[in-house]
Order: sequence, then structure tokens, then C-alpha cells
Amino acid sequence: MAPDLDAVSEADLAAKTGTLAAWLRANAPVAIGYSGGVDSAYLAVTARQTLGAGGALAIIGRSASYPAEQWQTARDVAQRFDVTVLELDTAELDDPRYAANPSNRCYYCKTELWSRLVPVARARGFATVIDGTNADDLSDYRPGAQAAREHRVASPLAELGFTKLHIRHASRALGIPTWEQPSSPCLSSRLPYGTEVTRGRLRQVELAEAALRRLGIAGDLRVRFHDDLARVELAPAELSTWLAPERMAVLTEAVLEAGFARVALDLRGFRSGSLNVLHGVSAA
Amino acid sequence: MTPNDVRGDRSARNGVALAAALAMRGIECALEVRGALALLLPKPESVAALQVDENRRAVLALAKEHGFTHVAIELPSERRRSSTPPPDAPVLRD
Repeated sequence: MAPDLDAVSEADLAAKTGTLAAWLRANAPVAIGYSGGVDSAYLAVTARQTLGAGGALAIIGRSASYPAEQWQTARDVAQRFDVTVLELDTAELDDPRYAANPSNRCYYCKTELWSRLVPVARARGFATVIDGTNADDLSDYRPGAQAAREHRVASPLAELGFTKLHIRHASRALGIPTWEQPSSPCLSSRLPYGTEVTRGRLRQVELAEAALRRLGIAGDLRVRFHDDLARVELAPAELSTWLAPERMAVLTEAVLEAGFARVALDLRGFRSGSLNVLHGVSAA
Repeated sequence: MTPNDVRGDRSARNGVALAAALAMRGIECALEVRGALALLLPKPESVAALQVDENRRAVLALAKEHGFTHVAIELPSERRRSSTPPPDAPVLRD
């Protein structure tokens, strides 16, 4: 379902984008932790347009938990808006504290990301490092935010009160194609806490989601890993369609092809942080 | 199939009562409890019923009443059929 951008007033948005531009100028030059998701794409393009080519550097941390499709989007957006990109490999899966998949897994991932990215950015003269955390993120369980604070990474979108809707609205105004892209957290978020994160499991999830995208599922989508079982979450409006026998069979085969033995369709549909709820980390 | 066709973790949530409540609502299925996830293995006619939004909402409400945060239906597969009993076959219990 398309986001309801009418819920954001033009005046509110103009005020917010103005304060963001001022913030960026006051803290220039900036390096952005860049994934090609809705938030970091908006931030990178805005920084580039506000500060010029030399004032903004978008840095991508690549690993097995970062979907190839997302990387392609990140590159496409950067090319289209002339954002300078630097890519680094990160190795969070080699950290046993991350691989064990505790509820604060994101802390170890972001610690790895920022411990590699921040020194590189500073060595290139980018004293300010920023990420795309937004105001909505502050209400969910986000242990990765602690790692950002420890590495003095700023989150101007959250700081200035940008919600996801603000960001989508402003992205559309700038012509950034990610404005209607579903949220896209890392692949490890599909594994329940306590289930070891391995490259093989991440690949299974990535293949299954890519196969479902090829079937035409464009909106919110998650393939949640439950050992032998893949639990598919779709946008609620899509459920009736995919519960029709012929569509169900196509969906099932696509997910089985990725290496799962069983496929289930969640009857509530997609919800952000679903596994947090399932494991009692946040409220149902 | 009876509401007693429940397998998996039965310690924290009431899968037996949920299966019975679903049957009362006309959704006949075996049920596998996986923590807070109720995995339904419905008969084909029950799958058809779940295409209706109102029925899905009723299932979700019943599941919540019985302590589950998530409900999913297992999708039938030709590939699995050879190794898995159909939903109305006797179900293994822990």
C-alpha cells in the first residue's frame, strides 16, 4: 500500500527540510553511513545537494547481511544524484557475539560498521559522520543506536523530528526513487534471536525474498526464518490474493526453491519488528 | 480431525483450546505450537475461508485470546506431500 503522504503538511515539511539543510551546513563536510534504504538515500542526496560534491561522502558497509538488491539500489541512487560513494567490507558474521544472534545483535553489527567506517571517514577529512536513523526508530528497540553514540555518529533526521512519512514525502519531492520503497532492514532481522546467523541462512532468506519479488510482490515483504519453516509476511492488503490456491502454489514453490522445507503465510501480514514481538522484546 | 490435533510446544499457550475455538468458527485445522506462533495446517475449505478478511481477523483475535502473538498457515506443497502427512492425518505429539 502506498504511504499516505497527505498526512504530512507542506509547511511542516518545508520547515524540516530547512532545518536539515542548516544542520548539514553547520556540520559539513559529512560522511553518511549509506545503505540505499529510504532514510540514508534521502540523507545522502540532501547532503550532496546542500554541500556540493566535496561536502558529502556516502559510505556503504558490505557484508552477507546486506542484500545484493539493496546494494544495487544504493549504487543507482548515488549515480543518479552524483553522490560520491566509498565501499567497505564489514565482517560482523565473524564476531561470535553477533553470530549468536542475541537481542542486541544490532549493537555488534553497528559496532563493526562504525569502527571501520568512522576512522576511514575522518582520515579523508570528514569529521562528521551521520546515519539515517529517523524519529520513528526511536520508539522501537534499536540497540544499534548505542553503537552509533559510542562512535559519535549523529542522527540528524531523528534529532530534527523527521518521521518516515516526512522522509518519503521529501524524497518524492526530490525525485529519489526510494520514496515508496518498503523499509529494508538487514537480512539478519529475519532470524529469531538465538538462532545462529550464518551466511547460508542469510542467503536462503535473500533468495526467497528475491524470488517473491520476481513474482510481482512490490510492497512490504519479509521471509522469517524458523529453521525448516519460512514464514512469509506480506502487506495485509495482499493476503487475500495470495491465499487463492493457484497463487499460493506459486508462492510456495518459489520459497521452497530457496532451500526451505516448509512454507507458511502469516495471517496478520507484515509488521515491522515482528520477531521482537514473537520473542517478547517489544509489545504485540 | 479433532481439536486435540496439536503438536509442538504446548507449555505456555493453549493450542488445544485455540484449535477448538477455530473449529467452532468453522476453521478446521491441525495446529502446531511453535512458541508464540500458532501454525495452522488447515483443510482446503478452511484455506478458502481464510481468503475473507473478516475470517482472518476472527482467527487473529482468537489466537490472541489464547496467548499467541502470531498465526500463520502452512501452505500445501506437492513437493512436501510425499514426506508429510496431510493435515487430517494423525499428528505427532511431543
